[in-house]
Amino acid sequence: MTRPLALLLLAAAAVATALLPQALSPFHIRVLQFFFFAAATAVAWNILGGYAGYWSFGHTVSIGIGAFSAAHFGLIFGHGAGPAGMILPVLAGGAIAGLFALVIAYPLLRLRGTYFAIAMLGVGQVVAELANNLPVFQGGIGLFLPSPVPDGMAPERFYYYAFAALLALCLVISWAVKRSKFGYALLAIREDEDTAQMLGVATERYKIAAFVLSATLVGLLGAVYGYSLGYFTTPSVFRLDFSLNMIVFALIGGIGTLFGPVIGAALLLFLTNVLLSGFLDIHLMITGALVVAVILLMPGGILRAGATLPWKRRAKKEASG
Amino acid sequence: MLLFLQTTINGLVLGGIYSLAAVGFSLIFGVIGIVNLTHGIFVIAGAYMAMALFAAAGIDPLLAIPFIGAVLFAVGYAYQRTIIDWAISRASVEASLVVTFGMAMVFRNLLQLWFGPDVQTITPSYSFDSVAIGPIRVDMVRLAALGASMALLTGLTLMLARTHFGRAMRAVAQQPLAASLSGLNVRRIHGLTFGVSAALAGASGAIIGIVQPFSASSEVAWTLNAFIVVVLGGIGSPAGALAGGLVLGLINAYTATYVSPALTQAMMFLVLVLMLLLRPQGILGAAYGESR
Repeated sequence: MTRPLALLLLAAAAVATALLPQALSPFHIRVLQFFFFAAATAVAWNILGGYAGYWSFGHTVSIGIGAFSAAHFGLIFGHGAGPAGMILPVLAGGAIAGLFALVIAYPLLRLRGTYFAIAMLGVGQVVAELANNLPVFQGGIGLFLPSPVPDGMAPERFYYYAFAALLALCLVISWAVKRSKFGYALLAIREDEDTAQMLGVATERYKIAAFVLSATLVGLLGAVYGYSLGYFTTPSVFRLDFSLNMIVFALIGGIGTLFGPVIGAALLLFLTNVLLSGFLDIHLMITGALVVAVILLMPGGILRAGATLPWKRRAKKEASG
Repeated sequence: MLLFLQTTINGLVLGGIYSLAAVGFSLIFGVIGIVNLTHGIFVIAGAYMAMALFAAAGIDPLLAIPFIGAVLFAVGYAYQRTIIDWAISRASVEASLVVTFGMAMVFRNLLQLWFGPDVQTITPSYSFDSVAIGPIRVDMVRLAALGASMALLTGLTLMLARTHFGRAMRAVAQQPLAASLSGLNVRRIHGLTFGVSAALAGASGAIIGIVQPFSASSEVAWTLNAFIVVVLGGIGSPAGALAGGLVLGLINAYTATYVSPALTQAMMFLVLVLMLLLRPQGILGAAYGESR
């Protein structure tokens, strides 16, 4: 795509995003608000999982840490008023999620593949349990965050714009990472870590940087998500389905691509929240079944479906062999 | 001292149950080389089946084990021959991790729809009896649970060591290509391994049902427990699962008594990470080079 065309498309998307709430009902704004949040977490997950190939099965831990940190920051230093008052707590949420990732990165990133995935699943479980059971964290009784919504503005619109801005931030960072030397190093790690290391790529440092960056972004998102809930307990932010969603959105859209996670999130949330909104009981089942179907039918996701659908692969094999 | 002894006994009893719950996971890991995140589902499904049989016909959960095992054997075999086999042959071993994660969600949702989201318990007639050994008391249910676990683990060990099927399984685990060249049907052995694993998980579920409360969402905890047991003990052998399970049970009991019951999961996980870093092949060995 030529550069002017891409810029034009981006500008059109920005204008459409800004104007869309005027035309939609509060329910649909809420759906879009959640879509921006979920897509942004998946884009952030993709930096570690897609580019570096380290699949975290417990990334919701950063959402939880972000939300808890923001609330505790408010408890200690006082909650600010209005939209400006949420800036510092949200930054604190991101910073602490990033710091936590930095602390666990060194031991955990020595593990590979399945072992890393499951260790992260364990991290998610354990941090949630600690947040819930240790009285200091108040996860059992719940935490409050004051509403930062300006007077006269509908809350769903405020969070619509907040999450849209964060999604844009995540996309820009993910794009910048992908184009940089950092991004190429991560791809080299994904393709063959030992060879990359042998060729002089500082794999350890790049992996840790990707992990911390990814966790910080998810932490920021988690803090804003905490604000959007207003009152939350451990299970409302340390949610296993959030961990699953990040993987699934990236996987369905195309893992390791820039827009794949967004496309995956759009598709799946449209399916579950709009088409099947009457069947809340079976969302988990649908998500699970879709993952299985995507892995079996098009392991590369929608963006690469052309090359990986079973009948296409067969045709290719026959043509070449 | 008495508290220490009592805690040790509790830990060992719990460990025996952990071992049984994990041995199937270990078997699949060792023979097929995949991590089955659906394992906890088989455990919980066993517990629900025991509950349903007990409620409907008054059948004791321990006596229901053969039936539960047979049903889950069939489910496990069919599951491997369809979805798991497709995932491995079409995508990759890593993809099978995600597929089993997805299937766990599907099964968990089904269990929740069927049995409701509430926490359940099974209380047979001997629930409140206990046996005294000197000053130490052990609950009757826990003793029965331990006995059943040990019997099943012994059975599995004998099967692996003595029968044709057991030898075939070990051959496939060591050298799939050589095993198939020697005339073994590797795919069938993989399916049967999955069946045996699911059956043992279901049996452990029936035992867990009488010892601990459970719900559909506790499947994650049982999958994680199985993983920790396997990492602690070593992959693929009942002896490794037993060693790992006993260690895990002791860690759990000591932490609950001497530190805080709220920290048992955290402590178990800490030990897991230390083990992966210091001795990734597990207490009894069976090295698995991919871990680091």
